[in-house]
Amino acid sequence: MSLIEIKGLKKSFQGREVIKGLNFSLEKGKCTALIGPNGAGKTTTLRMLSGLMNSTEGTIVFEGTKKGDDIRKFIGYLPQFPVFYDWMSGIEFLEYVGKLSGLSKKVACERALHLLQVVGIIDAKKKRIGKYSGGMKQRLGIAQALIHRPQLLMLDEPVSALDPFGRREILELLEKLKKETTILFSTHILNDAEEICNQILFLHNGQLVESGSMEELRERYQQSRIDIIFQNNEENYKDVLKGLTEVESITSEGKQLRIYVNDIELARREILRESMERNWPLVKFEVSGMTLEDVFMKVVGK
Amino acid sequence: MSQWLTLFQKELLEMWRNFKWIWVPITFILLGVQEPLSSHFMPQIINSLGGLPDGAVIKIPPPSAQEVLIKGLSQYTSIGVLIIVLTTMGLLSGERKSGVAAMILVKPVSYESYVTSKWVGAMLLMWGSFLIGYLATWYYTGILFKWVPISDFFASYFYYGLWLTLALTVTISLSAMFLTSGMAGFLSLAIVILMNVVTSSLSNWMEWSPAQITTYANKLLLTGKIPDSLFPSSLLALVCTIIFLLVGIFVFKRKELASS
Amino acid sequence: MITINWGLLAPIIIIQLILLVVALIDLVKIEKTNGPKWLWAIIIIVVNIIGPVLYFVIGRRNH
Repeated sequence: MSLIEIKGLKKSFQGREVIKGLNFSLEKGKCTALIGPNGAGKTTTLRMLSGLMNSTEGTIVFEGTKKGDDIRKFIGYLPQFPVFYDWMSGIEFLEYVGKLSGLSKKVACERALHLLQVVGIIDAKKKRIGKYSGGMKQRLGIAQALIHRPQLLMLDEPVSALDPFGRREILELLEKLKKETTILFSTHILNDAEEICNQILFLHNGQLVESGSMEELRERYQQSRIDIIFQNNEENYKDVLKGLTEVESITSEGKQLRIYVNDIELARREILRESMERNWPLVKFEVSGMTLEDVFMKVVGK
Repeated sequence: MSQWLTLFQKELLEMWRNFKWIWVPITFILLGVQEPLSSHFMPQIINSLGGLPDGAVIKIPPPSAQEVLIKGLSQYTSIGVLIIVLTTMGLLSGERKSGVAAMILVKPVSYESYVTSKWVGAMLLMWGSFLIGYLATWYYTGILFKWVPISDFFASYFYYGLWLTLALTVTISLSAMFLTSGMAGFLSLAIVILMNVVTSSLSNWMEWSPAQITTYANKLLLTGKIPDSLFPSSLLALVCTIIFLLVGIFVFKRKELASS
Repeated sequence: MITINWGLLAPIIIIQLILLVVALIDLVKIEKTNGPKWLWAIIIIVVNIIGPVLYFVIGRRNH
């Protein structure tokens, strides 16, 4: 069951196309990561989904809505750099956006207190936002995105500005939240995505280069890498290995050769045969699944 | 409606927290009151300085109470307008530039309500400050010169207010269009000044120009009679105000809240 | 001799003082101003009326 469906989404700035036709849908109840290097178009994509920016082409359809419906009711959005009214206190701001989202004064107040508790800044509720630290603002930002119980929570780089402790806490918070709501968040930190997401969207140069669930991706890229460590300089063997038909590319990391192959069974046999015949001093031979980082490097590389 | 009230209450609260409710009325009092005071005390001051050679008698005919009021009002259409523009120009552009407008407008908030709540807030501050300031001017003029009928006071207050409303709405409208408040302020002042200059240099052709309202209101004060063109020009000012407001809302809606 | 009517002038002086004090209170409470704070303090105190008004109009930095 998809909650939101995006078809042929494009965006141009002054004739330069930044988003080049995205097609994807977000499944209800899933946590999806939008991954890509800086400048890939993550923020632009999220802004279009939130309605802050118009798309040049394409459609965004929210489940159960007609054309012309205000989909902002269903969306909670945290921009990369959340800004508030510095002269308000944290609780005032939450009550304010709560009432703007259609909650009654009483419900907005209760909800605000609850969320301040959830994001862990209840002690600073009466403090003016101007005096909040960056981490506190990020938490308040998450709270304001949740105030009207949105069906889709979109977060733009929610943890990249935080210190390691703050990051851990926010990730744990997302872990809790993903049980209640559908989440889409952008990040360039692959570990974060790997940790809490079920779905991955890889964005590169405004295009979706790869997508799927964590399991699908693992399967697709599984066991297609062989790591070998030799006793001596690995450069001596690189040329021979490159000559094999099964080998796609080789990178060296220190003493280790990282060999990406197309057919793992054949490649294993061939490489082992070669090393037997030539009597190579192998220290380590490992067939391994790819990490998200490998997948990322691979899809971006092509 | 309840959403509009929420937005409006926020405007009122903000004007309280940044002391606009205190300093703008005070400034408007000081602006107006200085006219009756200086007109009254000027002859005494000159005399006490003793700067005049013997025999030289400067005969300054004491101004009438109406003339003093008109001088006070001219402060509001010059420095008063400047203060209105400077305090209003950032209301929309500032919030958009800082990004807080985007935080608010990703919520299901109507753009019309967002703009008009700020407009009404600014109007309330302007009309309120102008009332207090001009009332003080009228009171001091009454004590130091003669009492001008209160009905004349309210009539001139109302018509001058229309002109100030137009200046304020132009500023709000430009603030909705431009990202930099300085630009919005500069252009607003330019428009107001241009309207004045064009109207006064082509006054025969511009009988219904909104910029004539103040001239007609002065005539009303001096003669007690309503000039023929006062109503048409007031109506035109009202129409211009509504057009500027609608254009402002229209442009604001079409602008993207997040720039690349 | 100037005959000063204090009954008329006193209210004016009082609201000028209010303006000055309010500007100073705001200056102390606010996090950042356009330009150094101490300079604004001097301007507010030294330049009558115009100093506080200038502070509110351009010295205050919103958001």
